[in-house]
Amino acid sequence: MIELENLTRQYVKGTATTDVLNGVSFRVEKGEFVAIMGASGAGKTTLMNILGGLDKPTSGTYRLEGLDMTRAGDDELSRIRNRKIGFVFQQFHLLDRVDAMQNVMLPLIYADGNVDGRAAAASALAAVSLTARAHHRPAELSGGEQQRVAIARALVTGPVILLADEPTGNLDARNGLEVLAIFQRLHREGRTLIMITHDPVVAEHARRLIVLKDGRSVSDQPVGQPRDAEAELRRMAGDAPGVQ
Amino acid sequence: MKRTLRLARQAGVTLRSNPQRSLLMMLGLVIGIASLTSVVCIGQGTRAKVMDMVARQGWDLIMIRAGAAKQVFAPTTDRTVASLMEADAQAIENSLGNIRYVSAVQNQRGWEVVQGDKSVNTRIFGVGPTWHYIRRRPVEKGEFLTAADLVNMNRVAVLGSRTATMLFGDADPVGRTIRLGREPFEVKGVFVEAGITPGGDDWDDRIVIPLTTSSRRLFGRLYLEQIVVQVRNPRALPQTAERIRTLLRERHGIRPGAEDDFFVREPADVKEQALSTSSTLTTLLIALSAIALLAGGVAIMNLMLISLSQRVHEIGLRRTVGARQRDILSQFLFEALFVALAGGVLGVPCGIAVASVLAWTGTATSTITWVPFAMSIVACSLVALAFGLYPARKASRLDPAVALRAKRL
Repeated sequence: MIELENLTRQYVKGTATTDVLNGVSFRVEKGEFVAIMGASGAGKTTLMNILGGLDKPTSGTYRLEGLDMTRAGDDELSRIRNRKIGFVFQQFHLLDRVDAMQNVMLPLIYADGNVDGRAAAASALAAVSLTARAHHRPAELSGGEQQRVAIARALVTGPVILLADEPTGNLDARNGLEVLAIFQRLHREGRTLIMITHDPVVAEHARRLIVLKDGRSVSDQPVGQPRDAEAELRRMAGDAPGVQ
Repeated sequence: MKRTLRLARQAGVTLRSNPQRSLLMMLGLVIGIASLTSVVCIGQGTRAKVMDMVARQGWDLIMIRAGAAKQVFAPTTDRTVASLMEADAQAIENSLGNIRYVSAVQNQRGWEVVQGDKSVNTRIFGVGPTWHYIRRRPVEKGEFLTAADLVNMNRVAVLGSRTATMLFGDADPVGRTIRLGREPFEVKGVFVEAGITPGGDDWDDRIVIPLTTSSRRLFGRLYLEQIVVQVRNPRALPQTAERIRTLLRERHGIRPGAEDDFFVREPADVKEQALSTSSTLTTLLIALSAIALLAGGVAIMNLMLISLSQRVHEIGLRRTVGARQRDILSQFLFEALFVALAGGVLGVPCGIAVASVLAWTGTATSTITWVPFAMSIVACSLVALAFGLYPARKASRLDPAVALRAKRL
C-alpha cells in the first residue's frame, strides 16, 4: 500500500543545506499498524508530511496505492489528502468556533458531489463514543475528547490510511491510552495506521516499529509483545477503585 | 455546484462568527453605495423634471431667436439685434412643410403698467393669434387674442396670473382697462398659472398683446426677438429646423461659411442645457462615490489581510483535510462578495433616505427606481472581486504544512 524508496528531503536556507531525510525506504501493507519512532530532529514530522501529501521529497519515490505521489500536482494531492488520508495531530487542530459535529464534517466540504455530511459525521462520532458531545465546541471538551473528535474527523471520509503525529503527546496517561485503544480497535477492524511518536511505551502499542535516526531508518522490526491499551485501562481502573 | 455552495456557506459562517469585523468591512461600501444611490436618485429625478419641462414646452416647438448666440433659455436682458422680421415668420409658414402654427414674437422688459392706484413693472410680449397654442398657454378667464385684434392693432391684453392678481386682487380683470405707458388697453383674458421655468423665466408675470399693436403702437420697431413654430410631426422636427435654418440664411443673404444671425432652438437643446447645469454636481458626487467605494474596497482588502494573518492555522487545517488552492480562494472571495453585497443592500436604503430628505427639503428632485439596486450589486461585486482577490490569492498560496504549524490566534 505504501512504498518508500530511498526518500530524501533537503531544506535549503540561504547557503546552508540541511538533510532531514537521508534515504528512507520501507513498505507498509494494508492493515498494518506501524509506529515510527525517533528522537526530536530525526525527521519524523518531515516524513509524516511527505506520507500525508503535505510535502514532497527532494528525491526518491513514494507510492500510495500504486500512485506516484512525487508527481502528483497540488490539486491531486489535495484530493488524495481528502479521500485517502486521515490526519490526527498532537495539537488536535480543531476549529474553535464550531461544534464537534461541524469539525468532523470539515473534510466533507471538500469532497466531491453531494455528501450527506451529517450522517457520515454522526457515525464517525459514534465510532469514537462522542455522540453525546456532538454539539459541544472544542473549548467545552476535555483534551481526550478533543482528540477523539479529531480521530472522528480523520475517519469521516473513509480513508485508506490513518496518519497520527504524536497523538498522545498532549494527553495525560489515561486519555492517551484511550486514544491508543481506539487505534488498536481500528487496527483490528482492518485499517492501516501509521503513528509517529518519540515515546517507546506508546510505540509498543503498534505491531511494527520503525526507528529513525538522523534521517535514516536504523531499525524496522515487529513489536515483540504489543501492549494492549484496553487491558492497561482496566488495570488503571483497578489500581484506583472508585475512579470510573 | 454542491461543493461551491458548501464553500459559500463556510464563508457565511466565518462572517457571522466575527460580526464586528464583517460590519467594519461593510462600512466603506455602505457609504459609497449610499452616496451613489442618492446621486442616481437625484440624477433621475432631475432628468424626469427636465423631460417634464421639455414636454410642457412641447416636443413640437422650434424657437428661432434673433442673434447668433446659442441662447437656449430665455435671456435675462433685452437685446437689440435687428435680424428677425415678421416677413421671416410668414416665409416659414408659407414655404415649409410640417408646420402647424407660426407666431412672430416681440418682447420688452421694464414696462410700467397702471390700473387705478396700482402699478407693476412687467414684461410685454407682442404675439400672433396662435401663440398660446404653440407655447401651450391656455387662457383661464376671458379669451386669447384673435386675428381681428392683430389686423386692427387693437389695444387689448392678456395678463399673466400674477400680474392680474397684483393689478386687480381677487376681482375679475376681464373687460377692465389698464394703461401701458400712455396707452389704455382692455383686458381680454388671464392665463392659467404656469410657474417659473427652470431657466428662471416667470410665466405668470407678463402681459401679452397683439404683435401689430406692440410693433406699431408701443415699441416703435418692427424687428422681432423670436419666432415660435409648432411642427405637425415632432419626429421630423430636426429636419424642419434645418430647413428653417437654410431658409433664413437665404433670406438674410448669409454667405456660406458665415455665421447665422439667428439661433434655431430645438427641444433637444433645452433638454441638454437643463441636464448640463445639474451634471457638474452629479459628476462631482459620482466621483466622491467612486472614491468612497475605492476606500471601502481598500478597507475590505486590509481587513481581509488582517483576518488572513489570524487564520493561517485554519487555512492550513483546511488544506490538510483536502481543500484545494481554489477552494480557499473561493471561500475568501465569497467572504468579500457577501460583505460587499451586504454593504450594498444596507447602502441603497441609506442613499434613498438621503435623496428623499434632500427632495423633501426642496434641495433636489429625486426618483426611486430599480437602477440603484442593480448598480449597487454590480459595483459591490466588482469592488469585492477586485479587492478580495489579493488576500484570497495570498491565502490560497499558503504552504499547508507550514500554515498548520502557525500559532493559533
